[in-house]
Amino acid sequence: MNRREQRRSSRAGVAGAAVAVLVAVSAAAGCSSLNSGSGGKAASAPTASTPTVSTSKCGTKPGVKATGSPIVLGGITTKEPGTDFSDIGTTAAAYFDCVNDNGGINGHPVKYYPETEQTNPSQIASLAHQLVSTDHAVGIVGSSSIIECSVDNSYWKKEGFYVLGAGIDPECWSTPNTISVNMGPRYSSDGAVAHALNSHVSKIAFDQSNVPGTTYIAGGPNALAKAKHVPIQDFTENVPLTSANSVAIKLANAAGPSGAVVLNFTPPEALLILQAAQKLGLEDKVKEWGCSTPCNTDFLAKALGPKWNGKFFVNAELTPLNGDTSQTAGLYQAILAKYGKNVTGGVGSFSQMGFTDAEIATHALETVKGAYTVKSVNAAFKNIKNYVSGMQCQAFTYGNYSEHIPNNMDYTVTPDNGKMVLTQGCTAIPSVDPQIAAYRKLAGTAPQASSSGSGS
Amino acid sequence: MLGWSSFEPFLISGLALGGVYALSGVGLVVLYRATGVLYLAFGAVGAMGAYLAWQTTPPNTPVGPVGWILCIVFCAVVTLAYGVIFGPPLAGRGPLVQAVCTLGLALVLFGVVDLVWPSSGGASRSLTLPTDNYGFVAGGVTVNTTQIISLVVGVVLTVGTGAFLRYSKLGTAMRAMANDREITATLGVPVRRVEAAAWLGCGVLAGVAGILLADLSALDDTTLVFTVVISALAAALIGRLRSITLTFVAALVIGLVHDLITPITSISDYRDMTPFVLAAIALLVVSRGQVMTRSREEA
Repeated sequence: MNRREQRRSSRAGVAGAAVAVLVAVSAAAGCSSLNSGSGGKAASAPTASTPTVSTSKCGTKPGVKATGSPIVLGGITTKEPGTDFSDIGTTAAAYFDCVNDNGGINGHPVKYYPETEQTNPSQIASLAHQLVSTDHAVGIVGSSSIIECSVDNSYWKKEGFYVLGAGIDPECWSTPNTISVNMGPRYSSDGAVAHALNSHVSKIAFDQSNVPGTTYIAGGPNALAKAKHVPIQDFTENVPLTSANSVAIKLANAAGPSGAVVLNFTPPEALLILQAAQKLGLEDKVKEWGCSTPCNTDFLAKALGPKWNGKFFVNAELTPLNGDTSQTAGLYQAILAKYGKNVTGGVGSFSQMGFTDAEIATHALETVKGAYTVKSVNAAFKNIKNYVSGMQCQAFTYGNYSEHIPNNMDYTVTPDNGKMVLTQGCTAIPSVDPQIAAYRKLAGTAPQASSSGSGS
Repeated sequence: MLGWSSFEPFLISGLALGGVYALSGVGLVVLYRATGVLYLAFGAVGAMGAYLAWQTTPPNTPVGPVGWILCIVFCAVVTLAYGVIFGPPLAGRGPLVQAVCTLGLALVLFGVVDLVWPSSGGASRSLTLPTDNYGFVAGGVTVNTTQIISLVVGVVLTVGTGAFLRYSKLGTAMRAMANDREITATLGVPVRRVEAAAWLGCGVLAGVAGILLADLSALDDTTLVFTVVISALAAALIGRLRSITLTFVAALVIGLVHDLITPITSISDYRDMTPFVLAAIALLVVSRGQVMTRSREEA
């Protein structure tokens, strides 16, 4: 082999190695969520404001640590780059810590396992088995995952569990043994699209993360737009976003000057698109910008600044907290302040969901007479009826239904100088969405909530 | 059928993205030519530098000179330190071993970033620059100064690096080392010093690219650590790890194609494959050319 051939061969080897490394790096990118740390407060995350309610309110014996045998609960949330619902589990954990420091549940402390997954079905199935067989969990509370409901639903059914979570995928709404305190991406997007339609926009550009279930989610907004004879164009984006500028341009162009852009992303990804729109001067190029509930955080309002005041409308599945002086809002903020060190997003929809899940579970567990077993705990969950948490528009009922969409009435908020403020009170999601219509036919429309912490 | 007006707004955003990829690609090629090392920690170093710049900036305000300096100095020092400490012992090993060692550095930095600045589904960090607020309107969108800077810096550094390698003494030494390290050493060229200069320069480029990409794309460790490396490496591969000009052009094309196919709904979801597809096509064309050349030589 002459020198030239040696060099050529060497370069070919390097190129081959580089290609191998290129593939390996891409694989590492895909798996990087496994390296994601948890805990610690994001520096830009909003902290709870000064609480007006004492954390002693979360238990029946203020200041007395629960010492009985633990009630083991668990939950599974998605945590991966671009999609992170772990604040729901960590907030539920914070709530139970508070309960344990204030007498526990009938004297029993709650031992809560907040597990995280990376959209891997076998991992999710293993976590469910681990919670039941190894940890001996008697109830599943605070789960929020892109595919957990579809993966584990039959397992929960077989084991007699009635899950109390914050749903994402279709099976979280369409099965008898899973219920969610939130509306989830479909019905929350319905709410955001309904607001835009009520503003008489001429077209809607609906964009969401390219994750499993996008067709199901888009089904609601498309039904609403079709009923109003307004054209709608659906988009999906791979997350994490690599070029938010191009996404913002695409959406503004698709919606047009009298149209609306409606986003269904987690706050970090939504922020990228909205900031890109602002940098490119696109915020006024469409009539209205909208977003499903994850955007309901003061963090987003602060990061966006005043240009979006009254321009950007966010569906809020749970009670907007700004200006809310109720005991529930005060307790939520007090718990975040004292026990929420692992709640990286601070005040926001995700932590509200975790709080509400834990609050409703605690209420149900207090009704259990005798031992806390899978049977007694899940019977208590199933028997929850017309409970008013103070975090939802409607009273909450589990019940014996083949599907569950108990939260089907929403609020709308808009940024106002760094805060999300209420712009539209409790409004029913239109029954034009066939899923909502089917649920209301089955379970009726729950009464609108007027006070907190009541029900059976 | 989409007309020119549908693509026009994506031109600048694609060029700006390509400009930053070009910075990274040129940095990779220069370092490879001088040391034989494919520096896969380029994105991770830049990401950590960008996070440091963000950390030292008051909330919701643009990154100022202090942040820029901190980012660039950090990236330069870390890259230089890696080159000085690990370069010599690994010099005799194969290119794959040397590249994988830099991937080790990338993963260590990735872990540190995730530990110090944990990701969250409820909130995120965003890095902005003062130049985001100035610009002009073209194709219906505001072209901000950061985008222009990204492209201009890419062009200037490519031209400057080319001139440096061709006309300066140090650049000539680097080119000589690229051809044959042993012979260059026997000719009295201070190999270690030349390599250190290449590592330092590459670190500076990583800092500039990191902060620009954090503004143009996202202050997100996964995006910065991997996206930059994948796109820059693809550009460097198209440049066959030798040609700075070809690497620059390839990087611009990758950025442009990525953004220009955004409005084409049928393939828009696959635009993240752009670096892979272009690199694969380029490698196929190159290898076909090599086979044909070899056949002619043998005949």
